[in-house]
Amino acid sequence: MRTATAVPIITAHEVGIHFPVAGGRTLRAVDGVSLEVHRGETFGVIGESGSGKTTLGRALVCLERPAAGRVLHDGDDPYRLSAAALRRHRRDFQVVFQDPNAALDPRMTILRSVREPLDVAGELPRAERTRLALEMIERVGLNPEFADRYPHELSGGQKQRVCIARVLTLRPALIVCDEAVAALDVSIQADILNLLADLQREFGLTYVFITHNLGVVAHISDRIAVMYLGKIVELAATELIEARPLHPYTRALLSAEPVALPSHMRSHQRIVLHGELPSPVSPPSGCRFRTRCPMAVTRCMQDVPAWREVEPEHFCACHFAEDVGDAIVPQRPGGTP
Amino acid sequence: MTDALLDVRDLSIHFRSGAREVQVTRKVSFTIAPGEVVGLVGESGCGKTVTGLALMGLLPRGRSRVTGNIFLGGEDFAAMSPRQMRRVRGRRISMIFQEPMSALDPVFTIGEQISETLRAHRDVSVGEARARAIEALTQVGIPEPELRYDAYPHQLSGGMRQRAMIAIALVCEPQLLIADEPTTALDVTVQAQIVEVLGGLCARLGMAMLFITHDLGLVAETCSRLVTMYAGEVVEEGHIDDVLVRPRHPYSSGLLRSLPALAQRKATLPAIPGRVPTVAEMPAGCRFRPRCAHARSVCEDPQSLVDSGNGHVRCCRQEELVLPGALRGEVAA
Ligand SMILES: Nc1ncnc2c1ncn2[C@@H]1O[C@H](COP(=O)(O)OP(=O)(O)OP(=O)(O)O)[C@@H](O)[C@H]1O
Ligand SMILES: Nc1ncnc2c1ncn2[C@@H]1O[C@H](COP(=O)(O)OP(=O)(O)OP(=O)(O)O)[C@@H](O)[C@H]1O
Ligand code: SF4
Ligand code: SF4
Ligand SMILES: [Mg+2]
Ligand SMILES: [Mg+2]
Repeated sequence: MRTATAVPIITAHEVGIHFPVAGGRTLRAVDGVSLEVHRGETFGVIGESGSGKTTLGRALVCLERPAAGRVLHDGDDPYRLSAAALRRHRRDFQVVFQDPNAALDPRMTILRSVREPLDVAGELPRAERTRLALEMIERVGLNPEFADRYPHELSGGQKQRVCIARVLTLRPALIVCDEAVAALDVSIQADILNLLADLQREFGLTYVFITHNLGVVAHISDRIAVMYLGKIVELAATELIEARPLHPYTRALLSAEPVALPSHMRSHQRIVLHGELPSPVSPPSGCRFRTRCPMAVTRCMQDVPAWREVEPEHFCACHFAEDVGDAIVPQRPGGTP
Repeated sequence: MTDALLDVRDLSIHFRSGAREVQVTRKVSFTIAPGEVVGLVGESGCGKTVTGLALMGLLPRGRSRVTGNIFLGGEDFAAMSPRQMRRVRGRRISMIFQEPMSALDPVFTIGEQISETLRAHRDVSVGEARARAIEALTQVGIPEPELRYDAYPHQLSGGMRQRAMIAIALVCEPQLLIADEPTTALDVTVQAQIVEVLGGLCARLGMAMLFITHDLGLVAETCSRLVTMYAGEVVEEGHIDDVLVRPRHPYSSGLLRSLPALAQRKATLPAIPGRVPTVAEMPAGCRFRPRCAHARSVCEDPQSLVDSGNGHVRCCRQEELVLPGALRGEVAA
C-alpha cells in the first residue's frame, strides 16, 4: 500500500484541453480536471461518451499539451525536459489506443509492429528483440503464426491484442488502456485482465483504465473517477463507488448496466435518463448534468456544484450528494459481495 | 423455414494468401425472422465480422471465396453480381462496422456522408437529404446535430463516430441491419438509448437485426435468440433465456463463467484454458476438444449441429452434461 509521503506517478492539476471548432468557438474537452495516480495502482476512468476520457488519457502521457493547468510525472514537469530526454521519458508512459488501427502500420507485419518500439529504442540485439516480441505475441494469446500476417488479415480483437503486446514489450511504468479490452470476447478479456494483473504484481505497473464496461472497471480498479462533459464528477475507491454512489450520473450508470440474466430475473430499477445530451461547446449553466438529472432543481441551474470530500476519501460534485448517497442503490446482481 | 427474412445456409468463407487457401468459417447456417433481433457471439477471430461482410457482399473478391446461400426475402444474395449487390447494399441490407474510423471517410463531414448515402438510394433533394441527416444524428443522440453535421470524423470522440456510423446505416431504413459491436464505445446510458432506437425500428418497420457483440449482458437485454460460434462453426443456437440459464455447449458455458461482473473483485478470472486452434492445428473431431473439460473419446468424431428440442447444439454429450450458466453456483432448474 502507498504511504502518505509517496510522490504520485501522475499529478494533474486543473488540467484544461481546448479544441477550436466551427464558428470560432472553443470546445473544452477537458475542463479543470485534478487527480493523482499512485504507483502500482489501477485507476479506472468511466463516463459519458465524449466526456473527454481519451483526451485526458492522452494529456496524462504528454500526447496532448494542456492549454491550462499542469501534468506532473513523479512530481516533475515533463515538458521541462529536453526533446531527447522527453522522447526517452515517454517510453515509460504508454497508451493502448481505443482504435487499434491508429497504432498499427498497415504495411508492417505483426511481428514488426510489435517489435518496433524495441527497434526504435535500439538497445538490444535484433535476435533478442524478435524473441521478446514473439514471446509477447504468445502471452496475449495469439498464435505465433500471426507474426507474419498483416493487420487487415486480423479480426478486431486480434488487432487489439497486437496493440497490447506492442506496448507491453517496452515494460513501461504506466499504461493508459483506452478501451483496451472492448473488442475481446469475455474469455480472452479475462485472459488479458489476468495478464495485466500478473504484470502489475511482477513489475509494479500502474494502469489508467478507461472503459465503458462497468464489470471490467470495477473488477480491476482500486479507485474510479467518473467523468461527465469534461469534468470529473465523482472519485472514490471502487467499493465506495459501487456500494454508495454519491452522484446521480454515477447512479444512473450503475443502474443501466446490462446484465447477463434471463428476462424474468432482471431488476426493474433501471434509471433511464431523459433530456437532451448537452454539448461541450456550450455546457449548461450551473451543474453540467442538470439537463438529464432526475434530481435537478432551480439551484442546479444557477450554482456550479463544488468539488468536495463528501465522505472520507469520497469526492463528488453535486449539491445533494448526501441525499443521493442515502437513497437505495439498485443492486448489481453478482456484483462485489 | 419459409417465414424467415434472412436464411443463411452452409455459408463457408475461405481466404487466399498466395497459393494457400484457408477456410475461416465452415457451413454456418441460421435464420432471422422479420423484426427479430438475433445475437451472434463467439471468441475473437471466430468469423463473426467476415460472416457479416459476406452477407453484405463486401469481402475482397480476389482474395476470398464464399460458398453456400444467403436468402434475403427469397432472393439469393450469394449468387448476385457485384453490380446487383451495390444496389441492394445500404438500402435493403446495411451494416454498422466494428471499426468506425476505417468505415468513415476522413475527407467528408459526417453530415455529407449520411446525406450522400441517402441520395444514392432514394430520390430526395439536397435540402431534404440534409434535413433527414440532421434528424438521423438527433435520433442517435449526437448533441447539437446542426453543428456536428459539419464535423470531420477525427473531430469526434470514439462514441460519436460510432453513432455517426449508426446514422448512416439507418438512414435508408433497411430490411436487415448487421450491427457489428455497435455500442462498444458508448456509455451505458447512451447505449440504452441507441438500443431503444434500434429496437424501435425493428418493431415499427419490421427491420431484422443481426447483433454481433461480446457483451453478453447486452445480448440478454436486446436479443430473443442467440447464435454462438467457435472456431468458424456455429456450436449452439437457442432462445436467449434458455442459453443463459442452461447453456448446452461447454464453450457457451465457459463464456458465461468468464464474465467479470460475476467474479470477486481482483480475483483471477476463470478464463477458458488454452487457445483457439489455428487452421493447421484444427482437431479432426470436435473443434473445442483440446480445451474442453468434458472431452471423451467419442468427441474425436466430427460433431454435427443437432436439434436439442429448443435449439441446436454441436456437442455429442449435450444430453448428459449439466453446465453452469450465468447464475453462478445456483442450480438452474
Ligand atoms: N481533434 C479534435 N478536434 C475537435 N474536437 C475534438 C478533437 N478531439 C476530441 N474532440 C472533442 O472533445 C470531446 C471529448 O472527446 P474524447 O475523445 O476525449 O471523449 P471520450 O470521453 O473519450 O469519448 P468516447 O467514450 O466516445 O471515446 C468530444 O466532444 C470530441 O468531439
Ligand atoms: N482478409 C483476410 N485475410 C486472411 N484472413 C482473414 C482476413 N480477414 C479476416 N481473417 C481471419 O478470419 C478470421 C475471422 O475474422 P473475423 O474478423 O470475422 O473475426 P471476428 O469473429 O469478427 O472477431 P472479433 O470479435 O475479434 O472482431 C480471423 O482469424 C482472421 O484472422
Ligand atoms: S447538482 Fe443538481 S443537477 Fe447536478 S447532479 Fe446534483 S442534483 Fe443533479
Ligand atoms: S463434443 Fe466433447 S469435446 Fe466437444 S464440446 Fe462436447 S463434450 Fe466437449
Ligand atoms: Mg474515447
Ligand atoms: Mg469482428
